[in-house]
Amino acid sequence: MSLQDLKRQIQSVNNTAKMTQALQTISAVKLQRARERLDRVRPYTDNIDEMMRDIANRAQSDTPLLGGRDELNNVAICTVTSDRGLAGGFNAHVLRRTMELRQEQDANIVQVVTGRKAREFFKFSKVPVEEAFIGFSDSPTYEKAREIGRHLTQLFEDEEADEVYLVYNRFKNALVQQPTAVRLLPVAQEETDEENGENEEENGSNIPLEFIPGPEELLDRLVPKYVETLIFRALVESAAGEHGARMSAMKSASDSANEMSEELTMKMNKMRQAAITAEIIEIASAAEALGG
Amino acid sequence: MSEDQNQQGDGRQLFCRVITPERVIYDGEADMVIARIADGDIGVLVDHQPIVSTVEIGAVRINQDDERHVFATSDGFFKVSENLVQVLVEEAVPAGEIDVDEAENRVEEAENELSEVSEDADDEGEGERQRNEIERRRKIGENMARVAREHGEG
Repeated sequence: MSLQDLKRQIQSVNNTAKMTQALQTISAVKLQRARERLDRVRPYTDNIDEMMRDIANRAQSDTPLLGGRDELNNVAICTVTSDRGLAGGFNAHVLRRTMELRQEQDANIVQVVTGRKAREFFKFSKVPVEEAFIGFSDSPTYEKAREIGRHLTQLFEDEEADEVYLVYNRFKNALVQQPTAVRLLPVAQEETDEENGENEEENGSNIPLEFIPGPEELLDRLVPKYVETLIFRALVESAAGEHGARMSAMKSASDSANEMSEELTMKMNKMRQAAITAEIIEIASAAEALGG
Repeated sequence: MSEDQNQQGDGRQLFCRVITPERVIYDGEADMVIARIADGDIGVLVDHQPIVSTVEIGAVRINQDDERHVFATSDGFFKVSENLVQVLVEEAVPAGEIDVDEAENRVEEAENELSEVSEDADDEGEGERQRNEIERRRKIGENMARVAREHGEG
């Protein structure tokens, strides 16, 4: 490799480093915004969550939305990924979790996706995708969550799905996203049923909530909203995770680009030094030959 | 003066929060909260019994001292518990900040969509659902415009 080639290579590595550094900075800003958004979203989602528990504990309802169906023929899985790549293992992890969940099922699987990456992945693995929602992964609106929520609730109500799961990257902190699967429908009851029976009575006597209209009617309106809310929360968490993952992926890309650039510069200097030394030796030996 | 008021009713005070998925729109003290819930209009004062209900597309009014805050809201949920009124709605805009033109545009858009859907609705269930959804958007837009006209200046 000539000196010229090396110079060109160093230049190209430096350009890459500049680009990844810029992306890293952009992602850091976007991450900050997404985190603030996550904080703003919490009061609403937490309250809907609490209301769901209040009502679910008291409703004497045998609606399949709560209790589920006896036969489990179809399971819908909605996987949340990003639209764009350059985010390290962000999408791979959540897709792997999806594949695990698919394998655990004994039923037909209806696959729904959000984000271009999931659509590409399933197209490549020749898995049919029932519906794909794309184009909003880096700043999702509630309107989108509503659209997805309505679609999934509809699948359940039309008995095209007897259970509905959501798989997404939960945002733990800027560096860690945890691929998580939650059941949206039927609405997950509290984990410890027996203990809950006692608590329920206690809570019930402490705050006798009046439901207008009855808990069953409220439940019918709340469940779809609850599903939308969980999806919205997941989309916002996933967006924050996406920016976090991209930021760290770009950081390590910048680091290794800088390292490579240093190595190449070192190599180039050695090569130049070697060339100069060779020239000096040539001149020196020529002079010696003449003088000798 | 405020101390005296706090003493009233054993120092108990009603609070109200209007919350949307994107942010908390109102969070503060209230003398009275008026809203339209599942079985009609309700006025909540301090020490109201705990209830959980729905709110309809309409206006939520909060009276606090001499001030009156009015919000145009979409449909959602309404909860009173331990002197805290929580209004959980997808959309809530203070009456003074409503963009009437935009609200009217929404109504117009929805009406256009509605006529398109009813023309090519071959699938019964799906068409019905779509119509309901658009109808809801129309109502929200209409409500915003109305609330702005009635309570806008202030």
